[in-house]
Amino acid sequence: MVIVALFVIFALLSLFIGAYEDMTLQALLDGNERARLIFIHSRVPRTMAVILSAAGLSVAGLVMQAISRNKFMSPSTAGTTDAAALGLLISFVFLGEQSGAVQTIFSFAFALIGTFIFTLVISRLKIRETVYIPLLGMMYGGMISALSSVIAFHFEAVQFANMINLGSFARLGGFWGVYLVIVPLIIAVFFATKFSIIGLGEEFAKNLGVNYNRVVMTGLVVVSLISASTFVTIGPLPFIGLIIPNMATSFYGDNLKKSIYDLMLFGAVFVLICDIISRLVIFPFEMNVSLTISLVGGAIFMVYLIKGVFGDDERKAKA
Amino acid sequence: MIEVRNVNQSYSKRSSKKTLTDVSMVVKENAITALVGANGAGKSTLLSVMTNILPALSGVVLLDGKDVRKMKANDLSKRVAFLRQSQQLNVRITVNDLVEYGRFPHCGGRLKDEDHQKVEEALSYMNLTDLRHRYLEELSGGQCQRAFIAMILAQDTPYIFLDEPLNNLDIKYSVEMMKILTQLVEELNKTIIVVLHDINFAAAYADHIVAMKDGEIYYEGPPQDAITPEVLNPVFDHDFHISNSAGRPVFLYYDEDDPNCEVCVS
Ligand SMILES: Nc1ncnc2c1ncn2[C@@H]1O[C@H](COP(=O)(O)OP(=O)(O)O)[C@@H](O)[C@H]1O
Ligand SMILES: [Mg+2]
Repeated sequence: MVIVALFVIFALLSLFIGAYEDMTLQALLDGNERARLIFIHSRVPRTMAVILSAAGLSVAGLVMQAISRNKFMSPSTAGTTDAAALGLLISFVFLGEQSGAVQTIFSFAFALIGTFIFTLVISRLKIRETVYIPLLGMMYGGMISALSSVIAFHFEAVQFANMINLGSFARLGGFWGVYLVIVPLIIAVFFATKFSIIGLGEEFAKNLGVNYNRVVMTGLVVVSLISASTFVTIGPLPFIGLIIPNMATSFYGDNLKKSIYDLMLFGAVFVLICDIISRLVIFPFEMNVSLTISLVGGAIFMVYLIKGVFGDDERKAKA
Repeated sequence: MIEVRNVNQSYSKRSSKKTLTDVSMVVKENAITALVGANGAGKSTLLSVMTNILPALSGVVLLDGKDVRKMKANDLSKRVAFLRQSQQLNVRITVNDLVEYGRFPHCGGRLKDEDHQKVEEALSYMNLTDLRHRYLEELSGGQCQRAFIAMILAQDTPYIFLDEPLNNLDIKYSVEMMKILTQLVEELNKTIIVVLHDINFAAAYADHIVAMKDGEIYYEGPPQDAITPEVLNPVFDHDFHISNSAGRPVFLYYDEDDPNCEVCVS
Protein backbone atom coordinates (compact mmCIF):
# COMPACT_ATOMS: atom_id res chain seq x y z
CA MET A 1 0.00 0.00 0.00
CA VAL A 2 2.88 2.32 0.80
CA ILE A 3 4.26 1.62 -2.64
CA VAL A 4 0.96 2.56 -4.31
CA ALA A 5 0.91 5.87 -2.44
CA LEU A 6 4.54 6.60 -3.36
CA PHE A 7 3.80 5.69 -6.93
CA VAL A 8 0.88 8.12 -7.16
CA ILE A 9 2.86 10.93 -5.54
CA PHE A 10 5.89 10.59 -7.80
CA ALA A 11 3.84 10.02 -10.94
CA LEU A 12 2.02 13.30 -10.24
CA LEU A 13 5.27 15.11 -9.47
CA SER A 14 6.72 13.79 -12.72
CA LEU A 15 3.73 15.14 -14.63
CA PHE A 16 4.05 18.62 -13.18
CA ILE A 17 7.79 19.21 -13.24
CA GLY A 18 9.34 20.68 -16.34
CA ALA A 19 10.77 23.67 -18.10
CA TYR A 20 7.43 25.29 -18.90
CA GLU A 21 6.51 26.99 -15.69
CA ASP A 22 3.04 27.88 -16.87
CA MET A 23 2.18 24.15 -17.06
CA THR A 24 0.47 23.89 -13.69
CA LEU A 25 -2.59 22.07 -12.42
CA GLN A 26 -4.28 25.44 -12.16
CA ALA A 27 -3.57 26.23 -15.82
CA LEU A 28 -4.90 22.84 -16.86
CA LEU A 29 -8.09 23.30 -14.90
CA ASP A 30 -8.51 26.79 -16.35
CA GLY A 31 -8.49 25.27 -19.80
CA ASN A 32 -5.22 26.87 -20.90
CA GLU A 33 -4.64 25.50 -24.41
CA ARG A 34 -0.85 25.66 -24.33
CA ALA A 35 -0.75 23.92 -20.96
CA ARG A 36 -3.08 21.23 -22.27
CA LEU A 37 -0.92 20.56 -25.32
CA ILE A 38 2.27 20.31 -23.30
CA PHE A 39 0.52 18.02 -20.86
CA ILE A 40 -0.85 15.66 -23.52
CA HIS A 41 2.09 15.65 -25.92
CA SER A 42 5.02 15.92 -23.60
CA ARG A 43 4.37 15.23 -19.95
CA VAL A 44 1.99 12.27 -20.18
CA PRO A 45 4.01 10.30 -22.75
CA ARG A 46 7.17 10.93 -20.82
CA THR A 47 5.76 9.80 -17.50
CA MET A 48 4.20 6.76 -19.18
CA ALA A 49 7.56 5.93 -20.75
CA VAL A 50 9.27 6.15 -17.39
CA ILE A 51 6.67 3.94 -15.71
CA LEU A 52 6.48 1.31 -18.44
CA SER A 53 10.18 0.98 -19.06
CA ALA A 54 10.96 0.82 -15.36
CA ALA A 55 8.22 -1.71 -14.65
CA GLY A 56 9.30 -3.73 -17.67
CA LEU A 57 12.99 -3.83 -16.85
CA SER A 58 12.27 -4.73 -13.23
CA VAL A 59 10.21 -7.72 -14.32
CA ALA A 60 12.79 -8.62 -16.98
CA GLY A 61 15.47 -8.66 -14.28
CA LEU A 62 13.51 -10.93 -11.97
CA VAL A 63 12.63 -13.33 -14.79
CA MET A 64 16.29 -13.44 -15.79
CA GLN A 65 17.27 -14.16 -12.20
CA ALA A 66 14.74 -16.99 -11.97
CA ILE A 67 15.95 -18.53 -15.24
CA SER A 68 19.59 -18.45 -14.22
CA ARG A 69 18.99 -18.94 -10.49
CA ASN A 70 21.39 -16.10 -9.96
CA LYS A 71 20.54 -12.87 -8.17
CA PHE A 72 23.11 -10.92 -10.18
CA MET A 73 21.66 -11.58 -13.60
CA SER A 74 19.79 -8.91 -15.50
CA PRO A 75 19.54 -7.56 -19.05
CA SER A 76 22.56 -5.34 -18.43
CA THR A 77 24.72 -8.15 -16.98
CA ALA A 78 23.96 -10.82 -19.57
CA GLY A 79 24.73 -8.99 -22.78
CA THR A 80 21.03 -8.42 -23.54
CA THR A 81 21.21 -4.64 -23.63
CA ASP A 82 24.41 -4.61 -25.67
CA ALA A 83 22.97 -7.08 -28.15
CA ALA A 84 19.83 -4.93 -28.44
CA ALA A 85 22.08 -1.97 -29.24
CA LEU A 86 23.96 -4.00 -31.84
CA GLY A 87 20.68 -4.97 -33.50
CA LEU A 88 19.56 -1.38 -33.64
CA LEU A 89 22.90 -0.31 -35.13
CA ILE A 90 22.80 -3.09 -37.73
CA SER A 91 19.34 -2.02 -38.84
CA PHE A 92 20.62 1.56 -39.22
CA VAL A 93 23.78 0.57 -41.07
CA PHE A 94 22.11 -1.72 -43.57
CA LEU A 95 18.63 -0.27 -43.90
CA GLY A 96 19.14 3.36 -42.91
CA GLU A 97 16.64 5.35 -40.83
CA GLN A 98 13.79 2.97 -40.14
CA SER A 99 10.53 3.08 -38.32
CA GLY A 100 10.52 2.16 -34.63
CA ALA A 101 8.84 -1.13 -35.49
CA VAL A 102 11.67 -2.31 -37.75
CA GLN A 103 14.27 -1.12 -35.27
CA THR A 104 12.53 -2.96 -32.45
CA ILE A 105 12.39 -6.19 -34.44
CA PHE A 106 16.13 -6.05 -35.13
CA SER A 107 16.89 -5.14 -31.57
CA PHE A 108 14.66 -7.93 -30.26
CA ALA A 109 16.17 -10.59 -32.52
CA PHE A 110 19.72 -9.67 -31.50
CA ALA A 111 18.82 -9.39 -27.82
CA LEU A 112 17.20 -12.82 -27.89
CA ILE A 113 20.11 -14.52 -29.62
CA GLY A 114 22.70 -12.73 -27.48
CA THR A 115 20.99 -13.62 -24.23
CA PHE A 116 20.31 -17.18 -25.35
CA ILE A 117 23.98 -17.77 -26.08
CA PHE A 118 25.06 -16.38 -22.73
CA THR A 119 22.45 -18.39 -20.81
CA LEU A 120 23.51 -21.55 -22.63
CA VAL A 121 27.19 -20.97 -21.96
CA ILE A 122 26.82 -20.29 -18.24
CA SER A 123 24.52 -23.28 -17.77
CA ARG A 124 27.29 -25.45 -19.25
CA LEU A 125 30.09 -23.85 -17.29
CA LYS A 126 28.59 -24.74 -13.89
CA ILE A 127 30.30 -21.87 -12.12
CA ARG A 128 29.60 -22.17 -8.42
CA GLU A 129 30.47 -18.62 -7.42
CA THR A 130 27.41 -16.72 -8.52
CA VAL A 131 29.17 -13.34 -8.27
CA TYR A 132 31.42 -14.16 -11.20
CA ILE A 133 28.56 -14.67 -13.59
CA PRO A 134 27.52 -11.00 -13.89
CA LEU A 135 31.19 -10.11 -14.28
CA LEU A 136 31.48 -12.60 -17.13
CA GLY A 137 28.23 -11.20 -18.50
CA MET A 138 29.61 -7.69 -18.45
CA MET A 139 32.71 -8.84 -20.29
CA TYR A 140 30.49 -10.56 -22.81
CA GLY A 141 28.42 -7.37 -23.14
CA GLY A 142 31.66 -5.42 -23.51
CA MET A 143 32.69 -7.66 -26.40
CA ILE A 144 29.36 -7.14 -28.12
CA SER A 145 29.58 -3.40 -27.74
CA ALA A 146 33.18 -3.42 -28.99
CA LEU A 147 31.89 -5.20 -32.07
CA SER A 148 29.25 -2.49 -32.36
CA SER A 149 31.96 0.17 -32.22
CA VAL A 150 33.94 -1.52 -34.98
CA ILE A 151 30.85 -1.72 -37.15
CA ALA A 152 29.97 1.88 -36.37
CA PHE A 153 33.48 3.07 -37.36
CA HIS A 154 33.54 0.99 -40.48
CA PHE A 155 30.18 2.25 -41.72
CA GLU A 156 30.64 5.80 -40.42
CA ALA A 157 27.74 5.53 -38.02
CA VAL A 158 29.60 6.62 -34.90
CA GLN A 159 27.26 9.49 -34.23
CA PHE A 160 24.24 7.20 -34.38
CA ALA A 161 25.97 4.69 -32.12
CA ASN A 162 26.75 7.35 -29.55
CA MET A 163 23.24 8.68 -29.66
CA ILE A 164 21.52 5.36 -29.05
CA ASN A 165 23.74 4.55 -26.14
CA LEU A 166 22.52 7.43 -24.03
CA GLY A 167 19.24 6.74 -22.32
CA SER A 168 16.83 9.64 -22.32
CA PHE A 169 13.20 10.28 -21.64
CA ALA A 170 13.49 13.52 -23.54
CA ARG A 171 13.42 11.86 -26.96
CA LEU A 172 10.04 13.20 -27.83
CA GLY A 173 7.70 11.79 -30.40
CA GLY A 174 8.88 8.22 -30.52
CA PHE A 175 7.48 6.98 -27.29
CA TRP A 176 4.83 4.72 -28.75
CA GLY A 177 7.35 1.87 -28.82
CA VAL A 178 7.46 1.66 -25.08
CA TYR A 179 3.80 0.64 -25.02
CA LEU A 180 5.03 -2.58 -26.59
CA VAL A 181 6.38 -3.44 -23.14
CA ILE A 182 2.81 -4.15 -22.09
CA VAL A 183 2.76 -7.34 -24.20
CA PRO A 184 5.66 -9.13 -22.44
CA LEU A 185 4.40 -7.83 -19.11
CA ILE A 186 1.07 -9.56 -19.71
CA ILE A 187 2.91 -12.75 -20.68
CA ALA A 188 4.93 -12.45 -17.48
CA VAL A 189 1.76 -12.15 -15.40
CA PHE A 190 0.40 -15.33 -16.97
CA PHE A 191 3.67 -17.21 -16.56
CA ALA A 192 4.41 -15.83 -13.08
CA THR A 193 4.04 -19.11 -11.20
CA LYS A 194 6.01 -21.02 -13.82
CA PHE A 195 8.88 -18.52 -13.68
CA SER A 196 8.98 -18.82 -9.90
CA ILE A 197 8.94 -22.62 -10.09
CA ILE A 198 11.86 -22.84 -12.51
CA GLY A 199 13.72 -20.55 -10.09
CA LEU A 200 13.77 -23.55 -7.73
CA GLY A 201 15.67 -25.70 -10.20
CA GLU A 202 15.14 -27.92 -13.19
CA GLU A 203 14.37 -31.11 -11.24
CA PHE A 204 11.98 -29.27 -8.98
CA ALA A 205 10.15 -27.92 -12.01
CA LYS A 206 10.06 -31.28 -13.73
CA ASN A 207 8.55 -32.90 -10.66
CA LEU A 208 5.66 -30.45 -10.93
CA GLY A 209 5.18 -31.20 -14.59
CA VAL A 210 6.52 -27.83 -15.74
CA ASN A 211 8.15 -27.91 -19.17
CA TYR A 212 11.46 -26.42 -18.09
CA ASN A 213 12.91 -25.61 -21.51
CA ARG A 214 9.74 -24.03 -22.80
CA VAL A 215 9.42 -21.80 -19.75
CA VAL A 216 13.06 -20.75 -20.04
CA MET A 217 12.54 -19.85 -23.72
CA THR A 218 9.39 -17.90 -22.87
CA GLY A 219 11.36 -16.07 -20.21
CA LEU A 220 14.13 -15.19 -22.67
CA VAL A 221 11.54 -13.86 -25.13
CA VAL A 222 9.93 -11.75 -22.40
CA VAL A 223 13.30 -10.36 -21.30
CA SER A 224 14.43 -9.64 -24.87
CA LEU A 225 11.18 -7.97 -25.90
CA ILE A 226 11.24 -5.71 -22.87
CA SER A 227 14.91 -4.87 -23.34
CA ALA A 228 14.53 -4.19 -27.06
CA SER A 229 11.46 -2.00 -26.85
CA THR A 230 12.83 0.08 -23.98
CA PHE A 231 16.22 0.31 -25.67
CA VAL A 232 14.86 1.52 -28.99
CA THR A 233 12.60 4.16 -27.50
CA ILE A 234 14.57 5.31 -24.48
CA GLY A 235 18.04 3.80 -24.57
CA PRO A 236 19.89 1.90 -21.89
CA LEU A 237 18.63 2.25 -18.34
CA PRO A 238 21.52 0.49 -16.62
CA PHE A 239 21.18 -1.49 -13.40
CA ILE A 240 17.38 -1.23 -13.18
CA GLY A 241 16.86 -4.90 -13.99
CA LEU A 242 19.47 -5.81 -11.44
CA ILE A 243 18.92 -3.67 -8.38
CA ILE A 244 15.13 -3.30 -8.43
CA PRO A 245 14.39 -7.04 -8.17
CA ASN A 246 17.06 -7.40 -5.47
CA MET A 247 15.64 -4.54 -3.43
CA ALA A 248 12.02 -5.46 -4.06
CA THR A 249 12.33 -9.14 -3.13
CA SER A 250 13.55 -8.29 0.33
CA PHE A 251 10.11 -6.70 0.86
CA TYR A 252 7.85 -8.78 -1.31
CA GLY A 253 9.64 -12.11 -1.77
CA ASP A 254 10.31 -14.04 -4.96
CA ASN A 255 6.88 -15.53 -5.52
CA LEU A 256 6.28 -13.60 -8.72
CA LYS A 257 2.56 -14.25 -8.83
CA LYS A 258 2.17 -12.44 -5.53
CA SER A 259 4.78 -9.77 -6.03
CA ILE A 260 4.75 -8.86 -9.71
CA TYR A 261 2.61 -5.71 -9.37
CA ASP A 262 4.53 -4.48 -6.34
CA LEU A 263 7.74 -5.13 -8.23
CA MET A 264 6.55 -3.04 -11.17
CA LEU A 265 5.48 -0.18 -8.91
CA PHE A 266 8.75 -0.35 -7.00
CA GLY A 267 10.74 -0.07 -10.21
CA ALA A 268 8.53 2.73 -11.47
CA VAL A 269 8.96 4.76 -8.27
CA PHE A 270 12.74 4.34 -8.43
CA VAL A 271 13.04 5.53 -12.02
CA LEU A 272 10.46 8.32 -11.50
CA ILE A 273 12.67 9.62 -8.69
CA CYS A 274 15.82 9.35 -10.84
CA ASP A 275 14.05 11.10 -13.69
CA ILE A 276 12.81 13.90 -11.45
CA ILE A 277 16.33 14.37 -10.06
CA SER A 278 17.72 14.52 -13.62
CA ARG A 279 15.26 17.27 -14.47
CA LEU A 280 15.89 19.32 -11.32
CA VAL A 281 19.68 19.38 -10.80
CA ILE A 282 20.49 21.73 -13.67
CA PHE A 283 17.00 23.17 -14.07
CA PRO A 284 15.72 24.36 -16.54
CA PHE A 285 18.04 22.03 -18.48
CA GLU A 286 18.06 18.35 -17.81
CA MET A 287 20.67 15.79 -17.14
CA ASN A 288 20.71 12.52 -18.99
CA VAL A 289 18.65 10.04 -17.02
CA SER A 290 21.01 7.12 -17.61
CA LEU A 291 23.71 9.15 -15.87
CA THR A 292 21.56 9.59 -12.78
CA ILE A 293 20.58 5.93 -12.80
CA SER A 294 24.19 4.87 -13.26
CA LEU A 295 25.27 6.97 -10.30
CA VAL A 296 22.52 5.91 -7.92
CA GLY A 297 22.11 2.38 -9.28
CA GLY A 298 25.82 1.72 -9.61
CA ALA A 299 26.34 2.61 -5.94
CA ILE A 300 23.54 0.24 -4.89
CA PHE A 301 24.88 -2.50 -7.18
CA MET A 302 28.32 -2.19 -5.59
CA VAL A 303 26.78 -2.67 -2.16
CA TYR A 304 25.07 -5.85 -3.37
CA LEU A 305 28.20 -7.09 -5.10
CA ILE A 306 30.32 -6.52 -2.01
CA LYS A 307 27.68 -8.20 0.12
CA GLY A 308 27.68 -11.07 -2.38
CA VAL A 309 31.46 -11.50 -2.25
CA PHE A 310 31.70 -11.28 1.53
CA GLY A 311 28.43 -13.10 2.07
CA ASP A 312 29.85 -16.08 0.19
CA ASP A 313 32.94 -15.96 2.35
CA GLU A 314 30.86 -15.98 5.51
CA ARG A 315 28.87 -18.95 4.26
CA LYS A 316 32.09 -20.78 3.44
CA ALA A 317 33.46 -20.02 6.87
CA LYS A 318 30.35 -21.48 8.46
CA ALA A 319 30.46 -24.66 6.42
CA MET B 1 1.60 -50.04 -10.51
CA ILE B 2 5.19 -49.06 -11.15
CA GLU B 3 7.44 -51.56 -12.79
CA VAL B 4 11.12 -51.12 -13.65
CA ARG B 5 12.41 -53.34 -16.42
CA ASN B 6 16.10 -53.84 -17.21
CA VAL B 7 17.05 -50.25 -16.64
CA ASN B 8 20.59 -49.12 -17.36
CA GLN B 9 21.88 -45.66 -16.62
CA SER B 10 25.24 -43.97 -16.88
CA TYR B 11 26.28 -40.36 -16.42
CA SER B 12 29.18 -40.35 -18.80
CA LYS B 13 28.57 -41.86 -22.21
CA ARG B 14 32.20 -42.70 -22.82
CA SER B 15 33.16 -44.64 -19.73
CA SER B 16 31.91 -48.18 -19.47
CA LYS B 17 31.11 -47.76 -15.80
CA LYS B 18 27.38 -47.80 -15.34
CA THR B 19 25.52 -46.13 -12.50
CA LEU B 20 22.62 -48.56 -12.81
CA THR B 21 23.09 -52.03 -14.26
CA ASP B 22 20.08 -53.97 -15.44
CA VAL B 23 17.80 -52.95 -12.60
CA SER B 24 14.36 -54.55 -12.51
CA MET B 25 11.78 -54.32 -9.77
CA VAL B 26 8.08 -53.98 -9.12
CA VAL B 27 7.10 -51.37 -6.58
CA LYS B 28 4.99 -52.80 -3.79
CA GLU B 29 1.62 -51.06 -3.78
CA ASN B 30 0.16 -49.40 -0.70
CA ALA B 31 3.32 -49.93 1.24
CA ILE B 32 6.50 -48.23 2.32
CA THR B 33 9.53 -49.47 0.45
CA ALA B 34 12.85 -48.49 1.96
CA LEU B 35 15.75 -48.16 -0.43
CA VAL B 36 19.03 -48.72 1.39
CA GLY B 37 22.64 -48.89 0.32
CA ALA B 38 25.99 -47.21 0.66
CA ASN B 39 26.74 -43.73 -0.73
CA GLY B 40 27.08 -43.89 -4.46
CA ALA B 41 25.18 -47.16 -4.77
CA GLY B 42 22.77 -45.51 -7.22
CA LYS B 43 19.72 -44.95 -5.03
CA SER B 44 19.14 -41.34 -6.06
CA THR B 45 19.77 -42.22 -9.69
CA LEU B 46 17.20 -45.02 -9.53
CA LEU B 47 14.60 -42.64 -8.07
CA SER B 48 15.32 -40.08 -10.80
CA VAL B 49 14.88 -42.72 -13.46
CA MET B 50 11.66 -44.05 -11.93
CA THR B 51 10.16 -40.54 -11.80
CA ASN B 52 11.40 -39.73 -15.30
CA ILE B 53 13.45 -36.77 -14.04
CA LEU B 54 16.36 -38.52 -15.70
CA PRO B 55 15.08 -40.81 -18.47
CA ALA B 56 16.75 -44.21 -18.59
CA LEU B 57 19.40 -44.94 -21.21
CA SER B 58 17.90 -48.34 -21.83
CA GLY B 59 15.08 -50.33 -20.33
CA VAL B 60 11.68 -48.97 -19.36
CA VAL B 61 9.77 -47.72 -16.37
CA LEU B 62 6.08 -48.52 -16.61
CA LEU B 63 3.40 -46.67 -14.68
CA ASP B 64 0.16 -48.64 -14.90
CA GLY B 65 1.54 -50.25 -18.02
CA LYS B 66 2.53 -46.98 -19.70
CA ASP B 67 6.11 -45.99 -20.43
CA VAL B 68 6.78 -42.91 -18.26
CA ARG B 69 8.87 -41.36 -21.04
CA LYS B 70 5.79 -41.25 -23.24
CA MET B 71 3.47 -39.78 -20.62
CA LYS B 72 2.52 -36.10 -20.57
CA ALA B 73 4.57 -34.26 -17.97
CA ASN B 74 1.44 -32.90 -16.34
CA ASP B 75 -0.25 -36.31 -16.11
CA LEU B 76 2.86 -37.83 -14.61
CA SER B 77 3.14 -35.05 -12.03
CA LYS B 78 -0.37 -35.79 -10.81
CA ARG B 79 0.57 -39.43 -10.21
CA VAL B 80 4.17 -39.29 -9.02
CA ALA B 81 5.86 -36.85 -6.65
CA PHE B 82 9.60 -36.79 -6.06
CA LEU B 83 11.51 -34.95 -3.40
CA ARG B 84 15.18 -34.84 -4.27
CA GLN B 85 17.96 -35.30 -1.80
CA SER B 86 18.93 -31.69 -1.25
CA GLN B 87 17.00 -28.58 -2.06
CA GLN B 88 18.17 -25.40 -3.73
CA LEU B 89 17.35 -22.40 -1.69
CA ASN B 90 18.38 -19.20 -3.36
CA VAL B 91 14.90 -17.81 -3.71
CA ARG B 92 12.95 -15.89 -1.14
CA ILE B 93 9.59 -17.61 -0.81
CA THR B 94 7.41 -18.43 2.17
CA VAL B 95 6.43 -21.88 3.39
CA ASN B 96 2.93 -21.17 2.12
CA ASP B 97 4.20 -20.22 -1.36
CA LEU B 98 6.17 -23.45 -1.55
CA VAL B 99 3.29 -25.66 -0.49
CA GLU B 100 1.02 -23.90 -2.97
CA TYR B 101 3.49 -24.77 -5.77
CA GLY B 102 2.68 -28.39 -4.93
CA ARG B 103 -0.79 -27.76 -6.32
CA PHE B 104 0.60 -26.64 -9.67
CA PRO B 105 -0.06 -29.94 -11.51
CA HIS B 106 -3.71 -29.73 -10.53
CA CYS B 107 -4.51 -26.05 -10.95
CA GLY B 108 -1.66 -24.49 -12.93
CA GLY B 109 -1.02 -21.84 -10.29
CA ARG B 110 -4.62 -20.67 -9.98
CA LEU B 111 -5.74 -22.22 -6.71
CA LYS B 112 -9.36 -23.13 -6.17
CA ASP B 113 -11.10 -24.04 -2.89
CA GLU B 114 -10.06 -27.65 -3.17
CA ASP B 115 -6.43 -26.64 -3.69
CA HIS B 116 -6.46 -24.33 -0.68
CA GLN B 117 -7.89 -27.13 1.39
CA LYS B 118 -5.10 -29.51 0.33
CA VAL B 119 -2.55 -26.84 1.22
CA GLU B 120 -4.09 -26.47 4.69
CA GLU B 121 -4.07 -30.23 5.19
CA ALA B 122 -0.46 -30.57 4.10
CA LEU B 123 0.63 -27.72 6.38
CA SER B 124 -1.10 -29.16 9.41
CA TYR B 125 0.16 -32.67 8.65
CA MET B 126 3.69 -31.35 8.81
CA ASN B 127 2.95 -29.12 11.78
CA LEU B 128 3.81 -25.97 9.85
CA THR B 129 0.66 -23.92 10.16
CA ASP B 130 2.31 -21.46 12.54
CA LEU B 131 5.34 -21.06 10.29
CA ARG B 132 3.44 -20.69 7.04
CA HIS B 133 4.26 -17.03 6.47
CA ARG B 134 7.95 -17.36 7.30
CA TYR B 135 10.48 -17.23 4.49
CA LEU B 136 12.29 -20.54 3.91
CA GLU B 137 15.68 -18.86 4.34
CA GLU B 138 14.65 -17.95 7.89
CA LEU B 139 13.92 -21.56 8.88
CA SER B 140 16.14 -24.26 10.35
CA GLY B 141 17.25 -27.11 8.08
CA GLY B 142 14.67 -29.42 9.59
CA GLN B 143 11.80 -26.97 9.31
CA CYS B 144 12.75 -26.36 5.73
CA GLN B 145 12.81 -30.08 4.99
CA ARG B 146 9.32 -30.38 6.47
CA ALA B 147 8.13 -27.54 4.24
CA PHE B 148 9.35 -29.40 1.15
CA ILE B 149 7.64 -32.58 2.32
CA ALA B 150 4.44 -30.61 2.89
CA MET B 151 4.71 -29.48 -0.72
CA ILE B 152 4.97 -33.10 -1.84
CA LEU B 153 1.91 -33.94 0.25
CA ALA B 154 -0.02 -31.08 -1.32
CA GLN B 155 0.87 -32.50 -4.71
CA ASP B 156 -1.43 -35.33 -3.61
CA THR B 157 -0.10 -38.13 -5.79
CA PRO B 158 -0.68 -41.87 -5.28
CA TYR B 159 3.08 -42.46 -5.58
CA ILE B 160 5.56 -40.60 -3.42
CA PHE B 161 9.34 -40.84 -3.81
CA LEU B 162 11.46 -39.35 -1.06
CA ASP B 163 15.24 -39.21 -1.26
CA GLU B 164 16.63 -39.14 2.27
CA PRO B 165 13.75 -37.18 3.79
CA LEU B 166 15.13 -37.61 7.30
CA ASN B 167 18.14 -35.46 6.40
CA ASN B 168 18.17 -32.51 8.75
CA LEU B 169 15.35 -33.85 10.90
CA ASP B 170 15.93 -34.35 14.61
CA ILE B 171 14.94 -37.61 16.27
CA LYS B 172 11.49 -36.43 17.23
CA TYR B 173 10.66 -35.28 13.72
CA SER B 174 12.28 -38.33 12.13
CA VAL B 175 9.99 -40.60 14.10
CA GLU B 176 7.05 -38.32 13.36
CA MET B 177 7.93 -38.30 9.70
CA MET B 178 7.97 -42.10 9.53
CA LYS B 179 4.65 -42.23 11.36
CA ILE B 180 3.18 -39.80 8.87
CA LEU B 181 4.39 -41.99 6.02
CA THR B 182 2.77 -45.01 7.67
CA GLN B 183 -0.42 -43.00 8.08
CA LEU B 184 -0.35 -41.95 4.42
CA VAL B 185 -0.17 -45.58 3.40
CA GLU B 186 -2.87 -46.75 5.78
CA GLU B 187 -5.33 -43.89 5.48
CA LEU B 188 -4.81 -42.62 1.97
CA ASN B 189 -3.53 -45.77 0.26
CA LYS B 190 -0.33 -44.12 -0.92
CA THR B 191 2.63 -46.01 -2.24
CA ILE B 192 5.89 -44.67 -0.85
CA ILE B 193 9.49 -45.28 -1.77
CA VAL B 194 11.95 -43.74 0.57
CA VAL B 195 15.73 -43.71 0.74
CA LEU B 196 16.77 -44.23 4.35
CA HIS B 197 20.21 -44.26 5.87
CA ASP B 198 19.16 -45.41 9.30
CA ILE B 199 18.67 -49.17 9.09
CA ASN B 200 16.72 -49.18 12.33
CA PHE B 201 14.16 -46.81 10.87
CA ALA B 202 13.89 -49.04 7.83
CA ALA B 203 13.44 -52.10 10.05
CA ALA B 204 10.80 -50.43 12.15
CA TYR B 205 8.66 -48.72 9.52
CA ALA B 206 9.20 -50.22 6.08
CA ASP B 207 7.07 -53.00 4.65
CA HIS B 208 9.63 -53.88 2.06
CA ILE B 209 13.37 -53.37 1.69
CA VAL B 210 15.38 -52.91 -1.47
CA ALA B 211 19.12 -53.03 -0.86
CA MET B 212 21.37 -51.61 -3.58
CA LYS B 213 25.06 -52.15 -4.15
CA ASP B 214 27.17 -50.78 -7.00
CA GLY B 215 24.23 -49.91 -9.21
CA GLU B 216 22.46 -53.21 -8.82
CA ILE B 217 19.69 -54.50 -6.62
CA TYR B 218 21.55 -56.76 -4.23
CA TYR B 219 18.61 -58.02 -2.23
CA GLU B 220 14.90 -57.38 -2.07
CA GLY B 221 12.48 -58.69 0.53
CA PRO B 222 10.54 -58.11 3.72
CA PRO B 223 12.40 -56.46 6.60
CA GLN B 224 12.77 -59.62 8.66
CA ASP B 225 14.75 -61.21 5.82
CA ALA B 226 16.55 -58.14 4.55
CA ILE B 227 17.59 -56.51 7.78
CA THR B 228 20.13 -59.14 8.66
CA PRO B 229 23.91 -59.06 8.81
CA GLU B 230 24.05 -61.58 5.95
CA VAL B 231 22.43 -59.06 3.62
CA LEU B 232 23.55 -55.76 5.04
CA ASN B 233 27.19 -56.44 5.83
CA PRO B 234 28.11 -56.83 2.15
CA VAL B 235 25.75 -54.03 1.09
CA PHE B 236 27.39 -51.51 3.37
CA ASP B 237 30.79 -53.19 3.50
CA HIS B 238 30.65 -52.92 7.26
CA ASP B 239 30.33 -55.31 10.20
CA PHE B 240 27.09 -54.70 11.99
CA HIS B 241 26.33 -55.89 15.48
CA ILE B 242 22.87 -56.72 16.50
CA SER B 243 21.22 -56.27 19.82
CA ASN B 244 17.70 -57.15 20.82
CA SER B 245 15.24 -54.77 22.24
CA ALA B 246 11.76 -56.02 23.08
CA GLY B 247 12.16 -58.86 20.62
CA ARG B 248 13.22 -56.62 17.76
CA PRO B 249 16.68 -56.60 16.27
CA VAL B 250 18.51 -53.32 16.73
CA PHE B 251 21.54 -52.63 14.59
CA LEU B 252 24.55 -51.19 16.25
CA TYR B 253 26.70 -49.25 13.85
CA TYR B 254 29.80 -48.64 15.89
CA ASP B 255 32.72 -50.89 16.48
CA GLU B 256 32.53 -53.69 19.03
CA ASP B 257 35.93 -52.69 20.39
CA ASP B 258 34.44 -49.37 21.36
CA PRO B 259 34.39 -49.51 25.18
CA ASN B 260 31.03 -47.77 25.30
CA CYS B 261 29.59 -50.50 23.21
CA GLU B 262 29.71 -53.17 25.86
CA VAL B 263 27.19 -51.32 27.92
CA CYS B 264 24.50 -51.76 25.33
CA VAL B 265 25.31 -55.12 23.80
CA SER B 266 23.55 -57.72 25.85
N1 LIG C 1 25.01 -35.70 -11.90
C1 LIG C 1 25.94 -36.67 -11.89
N2 LIG C 1 26.97 -36.64 -12.76
C2 LIG C 1 27.90 -37.62 -12.76
N3 LIG C 1 27.92 -38.66 -11.92
C3 LIG C 1 26.92 -38.75 -11.02
C4 LIG C 1 25.88 -37.75 -10.95
N4 LIG C 1 25.05 -38.10 -9.96
C5 LIG C 1 25.51 -39.24 -9.44
N5 LIG C 1 26.63 -39.63 -10.06
C6 LIG C 1 27.42 -40.85 -9.76
O1 LIG C 1 26.55 -41.95 -9.87
C7 LIG C 1 26.77 -42.86 -8.81
C8 LIG C 1 25.49 -43.09 -8.05
O2 LIG C 1 25.10 -41.89 -7.43
P1 LIG C 1 23.75 -41.72 -6.61
O3 LIG C 1 22.64 -42.29 -7.41
O4 LIG C 1 23.64 -40.31 -6.20
O5 LIG C 1 24.03 -42.65 -5.34
P2 LIG C 1 23.32 -42.67 -3.92
O6 LIG C 1 22.10 -41.84 -3.97
O7 LIG C 1 23.03 -44.11 -3.71
O8 LIG C 1 24.32 -42.17 -2.94
C9 LIG C 1 27.89 -42.29 -7.98
O9 LIG C 1 29.08 -42.93 -8.34
C10 LIG C 1 27.93 -40.84 -8.35
O10 LIG C 1 29.23 -40.36 -8.26
MG1 LIG D 1 21.56 -40.19 -2.95
